[in-house]
Amino acid sequence: MNFPGFILDNTALVFEYTINHISLVVTVLLFSLALWITAGLLVSCYDRLSGAVIGLGSIVFCIPSISLFGFFMTVPGLGLGRRTAVLVLVIYAMMPLVRSVVMGIRSVDKAVVDAGRGMGMKPLQILFKIQVPMAWPAVFAGIRVTVVLITGIATMATFIGERNLGRLIHQGITRGDADMIIAGAVVVSLIALLLDYIMGRIEKKITSPGLRFQSGGGAGG
Amino acid sequence: MIRLDHITKTFPDAVRPAVDQVSFHVNKGNICILVGPSGCGKTTILRMINRLEEPDGGDVLVDGRNVREMDPSALRRTIGYVIQQIGLLPHRTIEQNVALVPELLKWPRGKIRERTMDLLAMVGLEPGEVGHKYPHQLSGGQMQRVGVARALAADPPIMLMDEPFGAVDPIVRVRLQDEFLRLQQTVKKTICFVTHDINEAIKMGDFLVILKQGRLVQTGSPLEILTRPADDFVLSLLGDDRGVKILDLTRSESLMTPTDTLPEGLCGNGCRVQTVQPVKIALEMMMKNNADQIGVWRGDEIVGRLSWNDIKTHVNRVSG
Repeated sequence: MNFPGFILDNTALVFEYTINHISLVVTVLLFSLALWITAGLLVSCYDRLSGAVIGLGSIVFCIPSISLFGFFMTVPGLGLGRRTAVLVLVIYAMMPLVRSVVMGIRSVDKAVVDAGRGMGMKPLQILFKIQVPMAWPAVFAGIRVTVVLITGIATMATFIGERNLGRLIHQGITRGDADMIIAGAVVVSLIALLLDYIMGRIEKKITSPGLRFQSGGGAGG
Repeated sequence: MIRLDHITKTFPDAVRPAVDQVSFHVNKGNICILVGPSGCGKTTILRMINRLEEPDGGDVLVDGRNVREMDPSALRRTIGYVIQQIGLLPHRTIEQNVALVPELLKWPRGKIRERTMDLLAMVGLEPGEVGHKYPHQLSGGQMQRVGVARALAADPPIMLMDEPFGAVDPIVRVRLQDEFLRLQQTVKKTICFVTHDINEAIKMGDFLVILKQGRLVQTGSPLEILTRPADDFVLSLLGDDRGVKILDLTRSESLMTPTDTLPEGLCGNGCRVQTVQPVKIALEMMMKNNADQIGVWRGDEIVGRLSWNDIKTHVNRVSG
């Protein structure tokens, strides 16, 4: 097995694929966060609606990614390329993101919300000063799952013309070249780990130290 | 200050009203205690005062104004609210928690900080030490104090307290009660206080409202209720030691026989009570010194004597 050798022999190609891969994942992530976190916040106020949206997300999530890529490719105006890839991956990100926002908001201690109301906070103040900050740990767990997920599924976009690390894996399979497959898989994994690490750092920055004890940080003081 | 007029509330799917035609009023600067077994509607009544629940019928008046005509959020910012679960915001420091209502009212920063520090000290916490901590780093008793400080933050004239000392152990509870009564001497808030503990009610209350299954059973001062319970329900709520409780609320001067000379047969200097001390203390002294009577003093001057028989006759008369 000599996958490092494969990477060293094809640096320019691997580098190009890696950059494409990362840019696709980051684009998808930006759209998904803006779209699905907003959607999650909107539907979380309505129990039935949030149930329906999470249900829909779960169904979409069950469709094999390759067929979803294939289907949207045939839609006029989308076709081969980045636009379709981004669209499909954003759809995939719906379930973990909306779900984590809704669950995060729902898991907020009712007594805290009640105290907030009792002190004269308006519904939006309760949402942004109590529920959202308290939901952060759950939301970030969802975001990190999504990042890893999107990085993996993005390899499938190679079938609709994305020149990313999926191509190494795909071509490795057709050529029976194990080093090529492993090279692609290892780089994809490293990207996932890196993005997850970055998200972890951001989570630490954003989440209040007062909530850290819940995720196993231990009660200090 | 607070007036409830025939308020009624039935929750959806409930067989009987949670609150049924309840009327009473709370005078300015008084502590009014709503007491009764769980499910008697006391919390619901409290929550209708600051509009966390809306009554189906009847009116709630605060300072002569019908709360129905006031903006709920604005109303709640003028009413302190303390609950058993405390409900501190876990992601905010103690200082930020106390500063919550002043922030909502858009006080200037310096004033908020000053007020927060004063309040933490007022409820017996060290502002420099706990101010920057998060709620999970505090003990139950400390959190409960923060809850009280937070409710007092914007200096509201009215406080609503729902079993505020219910979640702490009995020793801490007694201390918090004592401290709160001392605090009330200076802040003089109009307070509505919910509890299921009749002893807490008798100790804390100027005025008691006894409830059973959403209906008002009896109102009155603790002593009035102890001496003249309205029915068997109140009697059982008060417990078997009603006589002793009465002695705890009766001042020694009210039972003593006036005298200005030290009568014969009184035990030495250790065996004396002050006029304002409860008869329970006099009783304790007598038992300790194996005496039948005791001198009642006002400062350094003897003003009367109190005998075992006086006490027995009194208890027999008021609770018999």
